[in-house]
Amino acid sequence: MFLARIEGTVVAVVKHPTLDGCRFLLAQRMEADGSAGLEPMVVVDWLGAGNGSMVMVSTDGDIARERLGNDTPARMVVVGIVDRAQGQGSSKRGDA
Amino acid sequence: MRLGIVRGHVTLNLAVEAFRARTLVVLEPVTMENLRAGNGLGGGKSLVAIDALGAAKGQMVAFTEGREAANPFWPDAVPVDAYCSLIVDTISMEPQAVA
Repeated sequence: MFLARIEGTVVAVVKHPTLDGCRFLLAQRMEADGSAGLEPMVVVDWLGAGNGSMVMVSTDGDIARERLGNDTPARMVVVGIVDRAQGQGSSKRGDA
Repeated sequence: MRLGIVRGHVTLNLAVEAFRARTLVVLEPVTMENLRAGNGLGGGKSLVAIDALGAAKGQMVAFTEGREAANPFWPDAVPVDAYCSLIVDTISMEPQAVA
């Protein structure tokens, strides 16, 4: 699991049939030193994370398989919306 | 899933059973910098993925990597580690905040 910032939404008409109705968000991985990942990721979201939110993403596809079926290629799933993440370079969104 | 731009297709001559009649695409992963710039460039290290959606050259797709890439072939065991899950129509992003 890792922390990521939601940067936008992704719209796709043509997709694997198990992904019909899923909400896709564009997420950028956040490192402990405050830097961001090089390549953005498309994640499935069931929690309603908004633009700019910090979320926790799991790279395990088990929850997606449970919800979408054994033949789904979905893997990265938003498993939580972060209230606060304390640590090195912790001037992160959510630090009230 | 990462984002990738289809740069071409791969045809196999001899292949293991699982890859017969499958479409393979060469993908170039897209970096955040290039995505924001909207310059049509990728920037990542290219890879080959299975495509069942009919993605054309130049289109952007999101591809799954790892064990989950073989899920669409469940319950068959296939040696697939990258799978095109969706073809991107649009990506809406907030303009980047000036730090």
